[in-house]
Amino acid sequence: MDDDFLLEEDTQKGKFMTFICGEEYYGIEIRYVQEIICMQKITEVPETPPYVKGLINLRGKIHPVIDVRIRFHKEPREYNDRTCIIVTEVDKIVVGLIVDTIAGVVDIKEEDICPSVSIGKDSTSFIYGIGKIGEEVKLLIDPKKLLSEDVAEQLGNIAQ
Amino acid sequence: MAENYISDSMLDMFLYETGQMIESLENIALEKQNDDGFDEASVNEIFRIMHTIKGSSGVMMYQNITMISHKLEDVFYYLRESKPTNVPHSELIGYMMDVASFITEECDKIKDGREPDGDCTELHGKIDEFLSMIKNDIKKSGSELPAENKYVEPTQFYIAPATNVSSHHFHIVVHYESGTEMANIRAYTMAFNLKDIAEDMYYLPEDIVSNPDTAKDILDDGFKVAIQTMSSEKEVLEIINRCVGIEKIDIKEVDESDFANLAGVKEEKTTLQYGGLVIDLDGPIPDSNNETAKAPEKEALTVQKTQPVNPLGDEKLEGKATDKLAELADKGKEKKAAEKPKGEKREVQRYISVNVNKMDELMDMIGELVISQAFVLQNPDLKIPGLDLTNFNKAAGQMSKITSDLQEIIMSMRMMPLANTFQKMNKIVFDVSRKLGKDIDLKIIGEETEMDKNIIEHISDPLMHLIRNAVDHGIESKADRLRAGKPEKGLIRLEAKNEGGKVWIIVKDDGAGMVKEKLIAKAKKQGLLNNRNEKDMTDKEIFNLVTLPGFSTNETVTEYSGRGVGMDVVVQNLTSVGGSLDIESEEGKGTTFTMKIPLTLAIVDGIVVSVGESKFVAATGNIQEFICVTNDMVIKEPDGGQGIMIRGECYPLIRLKEYFKLKDGIDDIEKGVLMIVEHEGRKAGLFIDKIYGEQEIVVKPLPPYINKVKGVSSCTQLGDGSISLIIDIAGIMKGA
Repeated sequence: MDDDFLLEEDTQKGKFMTFICGEEYYGIEIRYVQEIICMQKITEVPETPPYVKGLINLRGKIHPVIDVRIRFHKEPREYNDRTCIIVTEVDKIVVGLIVDTIAGVVDIKEEDICPSVSIGKDSTSFIYGIGKIGEEVKLLIDPKKLLSEDVAEQLGNIAQ
Repeated sequence: MAENYISDSMLDMFLYETGQMIESLENIALEKQNDDGFDEASVNEIFRIMHTIKGSSGVMMYQNITMISHKLEDVFYYLRESKPTNVPHSELIGYMMDVASFITEECDKIKDGREPDGDCTELHGKIDEFLSMIKNDIKKSGSELPAENKYVEPTQFYIAPATNVSSHHFHIVVHYESGTEMANIRAYTMAFNLKDIAEDMYYLPEDIVSNPDTAKDILDDGFKVAIQTMSSEKEVLEIINRCVGIEKIDIKEVDESDFANLAGVKEEKTTLQYGGLVIDLDGPIPDSNNETAKAPEKEALTVQKTQPVNPLGDEKLEGKATDKLAELADKGKEKKAAEKPKGEKREVQRYISVNVNKMDELMDMIGELVISQAFVLQNPDLKIPGLDLTNFNKAAGQMSKITSDLQEIIMSMRMMPLANTFQKMNKIVFDVSRKLGKDIDLKIIGEETEMDKNIIEHISDPLMHLIRNAVDHGIESKADRLRAGKPEKGLIRLEAKNEGGKVWIIVKDDGAGMVKEKLIAKAKKQGLLNNRNEKDMTDKEIFNLVTLPGFSTNETVTEYSGRGVGMDVVVQNLTSVGGSLDIESEEGKGTTFTMKIPLTLAIVDGIVVSVGESKFVAATGNIQEFICVTNDMVIKEPDGGQGIMIRGECYPLIRLKEYFKLKDGIDDIEKGVLMIVEHEGRKAGLFIDKIYGEQEIVVKPLPPYINKVKGVSSCTQLGDGSISLIIDIAGIMKGA
């Protein structure tokens, strides 16, 4: 059992689920990813930040979804059949991320990741590093920051 | 013996059953506490309960439980046999409750893996005294005491054979073919089969199973059976003929009086046969024939169904033997109990316990099923023009019905009425008030209110605290009550109701109430005021002082309350399920505690409405009416607020579209619908687009990530799998 577990941990290490949002490729560590589902009917929730699109029903469980485009201050665009929801779980909180297109799972070695110092701090602090695969560059997202801290704070403000 | 067969599952079963029986014992006691005495049915029921507990605890070798239940059983035996009229009823109820508590306590110890080492001698002695007192009374009144040994008396399993007018009595002599092997076992098998139809039966030779030598006697003299049955001769013969190797059957119908006189055998001997038979079966069977090897267990199981022995009312049977029989029966029952809880007679609900996680999974799966069904039934492929879908639609309708039924069932499975929890409070009121010398009535209202089982578990402790508090501090002593011009008997109302998406559980006493000044003084003394100016405090705040940790107004710490823990625990427990506690009190009139518990998962009736694209649900309980209004009914206030005049009353008008800042929706008041909602006596008109219909909804909390949203209390899954938000009417009204 333990071996299996370690093995599983190991196989997940260094793997990133990548997706496209706008022009850029983003990556999210695969251990945060629960599943990927196609676009579904979203129930809007009033009085939430614009990037919180609402709630989806995933096998009887109700999860919030956020639109990554809007979250990254990009122009919103119509959803199409390429639009996907990456269901992530961070610290027991499950949130769906709406992304333009899934780009697949890639391996990024630790030495190929450099910390994101050059990028502006405020708006994109949830990007913790930049992964290089050959010539391509993936912005690596720290979902913890993306979901909890930053958003919780903002939501908290709104709730008040 | 005990170690040999007491397994964990048996122990579990014992605990489960004993718990259930004690519960019903308590219920009977509490039901009858205000009567003058027990009616016959309850006496029988209690007797049965105690007897069963005695038997099963005996099997499990819990001596003290056996002892105490035996004693109480004794008492009820006398009650039943002699029907004394002057039994001190309340004292008896007291003893019953004591015994119940004692056994519960011991069971708790067993549950925790400890030895049930409680000492019941004192209680035992008291009941003994009580019993001899009744006996003396009976003697004085000149009537005969019933016979001492009661084990042979009809019990749960041995209901005395009711001689029915239509019963037949047969004497049967069965002759086996000579040279038949093990004729005794064959005879036993036949007797065993006959038992199903027998109201009463015995046979000769008696020791057929234990004594292989009887085989010879049977071959020589035949196997003699006396049977009392409702069945006809033909039916009896049919059963006998099922056995093989029979040469000849002599059957003759006899009179009831001749019935026991089987082939001129001594009567007192015949009566024991049945008991003897079963006990022999328990031991190792000399003839380990397959058939008989199976028999003992089967026997023990069937015993309860048959109505054996003692047609003569012979009291002198060897008690030990029959007692063991009872134990055996219990043991058999132990095994069977998983599928058949005890305490029959009345229609008893059957339960199995299921892991809640599995229930959740099932619920989610059914949700999924509903969604995929919607995918199938509304599949775009079906929209191709010219398709004949008649049959498809028929089948689809059937399927929709089944899935919606399924959904309903799974939703209702999680819900339990509060009745059980409330009934327990009865016992607490009884216990505590008895010990405090108070006379208190507990009035229960709305016990059928359903709540999620998890929540019920969470509130049972707080509720207990509140009830105890009410009995202990709330209700004054009898003398004080009379002085205050109140009836001597105190009243506590325990009420549950659905109110605006929450379940309210209200504990209201008509006692002394709380004195604000006292509360403040006390809080000051204990330094709980935090330098707050007491004049600034609202009544609510003052009463809420009692929920602070370490606050207790009771001067003397009693067994039940006054230690300063309690109210803060109540609040803690409540907040852990998202509930709250409201306290209201009026000096001299009483105190009301209101627990408001959210109904996470509680099913409420809701009405689905829409505003633009969005669907919302409002709890039906909050909705007064739907009404179409005209423009001239709208009153515009200068500050932008709007009101609506309906039948001479003015309600604040809230347009949900604006309230929720929705993109689409109807603005023209004449095109939409106005929903008049009410909360705590205040009313408002919510303007919506359309009504969709009423639906039972399962309330789910908003995901933690979304936090709190103004005007939305929670969400729910609609029948088609989509999510709808539940309007927080109370919240909206606050802003209105």
